[in-house]
Amino acid sequence: MKHFYIIISALLLGSLQLCASDDLEEGKRLYNETCVSCHGETGATDTGIKLTVKPRRLKDSILSAQQMVKIISDGGHAYGAHSDIMSAFKYVYEEEQIENIAQYVSKTFNAHREARIKKHLSEAKVEKLDAKKMHKIGKKIFKRNCSLCHGLKGDGNSIYVEQSKENKEFLFPYDLRKTVLDEDQIFLILKFGAHYWGADKKDMPSWSRKYDDTKLRAVAHFVKTKIVGTD
Amino acid sequence: MKKIATMLVIAGALSVTLSAKNWVVDQKGKTFIPSKLTVHVGDTITFKNSDPFAHNAYTDDEANEFDVGMQPTGKETHMKINSKESFNVECAIHPNMLLEVTVE
Repeated sequence: MKHFYIIISALLLGSLQLCASDDLEEGKRLYNETCVSCHGETGATDTGIKLTVKPRRLKDSILSAQQMVKIISDGGHAYGAHSDIMSAFKYVYEEEQIENIAQYVSKTFNAHREARIKKHLSEAKVEKLDAKKMHKIGKKIFKRNCSLCHGLKGDGNSIYVEQSKENKEFLFPYDLRKTVLDEDQIFLILKFGAHYWGADKKDMPSWSRKYDDTKLRAVAHFVKTKIVGTD
Repeated sequence: MKKIATMLVIAGALSVTLSAKNWVVDQKGKTFIPSKLTVHVGDTITFKNSDPFAHNAYTDDEANEFDVGMQPTGKETHMKINSKESFNVECAIHPNMLLEVTVE
């Protein structure tokens, strides 16, 4: 009887692995059918086409497969992109197909994503503050620095953006209120700069020279709790 | 005697005004040029912006409080040195920009 269960378990495991492998193959096929034209074969946007795709390098993206599913399904605009060049693919593909694409991108281009995030979060020196103090610090820095580009409401409407009429795409997400990022991800992007999640070096710089981890965590907390999801 | 004293005060004030210098600091390539400056009380710093995007020079120093706000390409702003306290000027948009001002 024991042997019977072992054989059944092995067969089930094997079939699951085959399914996973098939799903990845399907994800790859769909990626190469559609996504490749903008994001490139290796996710490095090395297509030679002058498109403002951000985060530009998928292989450096810190988005989870679930977050990618949301963006692929609803399009970049739904999550704060300035343009709708990244369309809502829920009108093109089934949910399962979108899941396969996201898994392919996640597992092929940035397989070390979780380890990288975990390492950087464990290295951060964040002092524990009470909620009131954290809010005060986060709000002050957001107003002093972040709002100059992102706008006081985080909607991307600022004098800086107004004056940069030729290229507003340097801000991504353009509308912070709609961002798909969680608080940890916002903190890491503030600490290491937009380059950390695959945007360009010329985009938002690292704020770690100016603010310590505790202050940057307070800003991330402020953005996540007071900006994201507001109208 | 009173007249002489008054004249001396006026002459002193005039000499301070005449000796006050204007220093020019450019913002180019996301850098303050020069990045270090030695000035005197009464001097003025003119901030230029040669970058193709805006800057926002400011200092948190209370004695020489200063914030130009958004400064687009080509626009000049001026800051007067009011106190003998050395301070740093930063850009609120580009955190790696730093100007160290020593006041003598």
